[in-house]
Amino acid sequence: MPPVINKEECIGCGVCAEICPCDVLHMTGEDVPQITYPEECWHCNACVLDCAVQAIKLRVPLPAMMLYLEARE
Amino acid sequence: MIGINNIPVECDVLVVGGGIGGLMAAISAADQGAKVVIAEKSNTKRSGSGSTGNDHFQCYIPEVHGEDMEPILREMNECLTGGYLDQDLTALFLKESFDRVKDWNKWGIDMRPHGTWEFNGHAMPGRPRIFLKYAGANQKSVLTNEALKRGVTIFNKLPIAEVITNTSGEVIGAIGVSIESEKPELKIFRANNVILTTGTTNRLYSPKTGGMMFNLGFCPSCAGNGRAAAYRAGAKLINLDIPNTHAGPKFFNRCGKATWIGVLKDYEGKPIGPFVTKPSKELGDITADIWHGVFGIKNKAGEPVYMDCSETSEEDIQYMLWGLTQEGDTSLLNYMDDEGIDVRKHMVEFSTYEPFLIGRGIEINDKAATNVPGLFAAGDEVGNFRADIAGAATFGWIAGKSAAERAQDIKTFEPAEKSSIVEEKKQFYSELLSREAGTANPSWKEVNIALQQIMTDYAGVEVRSEHLFKAGLKYLKDLKGKAISTMYCQNSHELMRCLEVLDLIQLGELIMLTAQDRKETRGKHNRVDYPFTNPLNNNRFITVQEVEGTAEIKWRDRH
Repeated sequence: MPPVINKEECIGCGVCAEICPCDVLHMTGEDVPQITYPEECWHCNACVLDCAVQAIKLRVPLPAMMLYLEARE
Repeated sequence: MIGINNIPVECDVLVVGGGIGGLMAAISAADQGAKVVIAEKSNTKRSGSGSTGNDHFQCYIPEVHGEDMEPILREMNECLTGGYLDQDLTALFLKESFDRVKDWNKWGIDMRPHGTWEFNGHAMPGRPRIFLKYAGANQKSVLTNEALKRGVTIFNKLPIAEVITNTSGEVIGAIGVSIESEKPELKIFRANNVILTTGTTNRLYSPKTGGMMFNLGFCPSCAGNGRAAAYRAGAKLINLDIPNTHAGPKFFNRCGKATWIGVLKDYEGKPIGPFVTKPSKELGDITADIWHGVFGIKNKAGEPVYMDCSETSEEDIQYMLWGLTQEGDTSLLNYMDDEGIDVRKHMVEFSTYEPFLIGRGIEINDKAATNVPGLFAAGDEVGNFRADIAGAATFGWIAGKSAAERAQDIKTFEPAEKSSIVEEKKQFYSELLSREAGTANPSWKEVNIALQQIMTDYAGVEVRSEHLFKAGLKYLKDLKGKAISTMYCQNSHELMRCLEVLDLIQLGELIMLTAQDRKETRGKHNRVDYPFTNPLNNNRFITVQEVEGTAEIKWRDRH
């Protein structure tokens, strides 16, 4: 479930935990933020956009997978 | 026992929720010299439905639209945000909207990113276009900075749970529940003027993606706290009876339907609406704005519906991708990149999302004041006006000015912290925190899911009837009783969610009560026991207000 944090890249600044609109991430004394409530992510991308070192990506869960077809000629 | 911060915060104007409406209210009140505090559930830099951006702003610009405002007023009533607008508020909005555009442009939100005032999208062929295309990806950080520059104090991670009134029914403060650390703490405000700007109300109905109640277009943390607190403080709510639904990519719920530049088509690639066959940035397909039931009706006829951008010019595709970025849909763009979904050759299925409250909520007047002295509201939680982000900007501004003016007359504070409601809530929150967690008691999530099931089946958009409402109200009462007596939470975050879900149940009841009184079919209020639309009810709104402990329902004409 989103977000996914690259622990090698993360500098532990805590910005993502500060700004998450749904209070999904928390700094709990670890070096990297904990994704405490993954099910409460609304895929807004705020953490991805605000991460200074691009250490966060979203993994969009399969139930939210986009459904598409080849466009018709 | 839950902790309480013993030093109440005093301010002239307390703004509840730091979204677009709240930040604009705070900026405007501070400009009038008021001491302003924003209490925000998350962080004003990224909170609410405008979190990551927006690219269209309804407004009237005389140099573009001409000196006659009437055609624009008509367009306001007929566009997707129209239908339930008091006309005096709409005219006021239009008159002031360009000033807000100029403010934003001055502060660094680019309202003219392509050099001219450019109006595109959500438009019908041959009609005036009223949505200004702008670059809003930075809007929350810009507005936060403007508020801070003016000396506004911002408390992040501080949801407000209750508005406190005195024995005369006037606002004297509010109760906040800090979620800054794992252990919650009550924070009491002494404020004679409170502006509610808590946004849309989501999480009332079962989500389209099973079990994923936060996979929404609008911000799922917006859970109707302002509306519910306003109702408990004696304010009138309005237009809760008419359901509202949004639409967009199926299952990956996002706003920005009109940012897509394409044509809605069936499986074979045949356009389903009458408006466009060759899309352009000026005119994308407005079919879903006009024909709210299109996806459901087509699906029931065995037809999936697709957004097809394959005939859009490359220049307009670039414009659309830029628009989606400004709209805040970067998660969607990243996902499409990763998955190799290319709008130039793939058509994406669209569908309707679950009902939610936007432009249904607190009744305000032309000062953005409610019927409760000292209580104001603006933005998505207003019930008799709606213009989404532009409405939040414009009425937020008006609310801030009105509240600051009122603050000049009342300079003494009442000891809000001594009100009985504070002790009562302290006891109740402590009880929620003290209950056994785990399997013995229901979590907030369990209660929320149960609520969504009842709302979907008994106050949904497919079938509504007297018997369904009566049964639904009984079930909600049962659920509320169980939630109050058994729901648990283990920390500040869960306490916030518990309080949200209780507010949602209360709003669910008010939706059913008011909808029960509308004995006709209108829009998505589909009364199978009253299948006709009664012209005598055109432009008649239903209000609900708590009077001596009961919900008093009244009808009034649109004004």
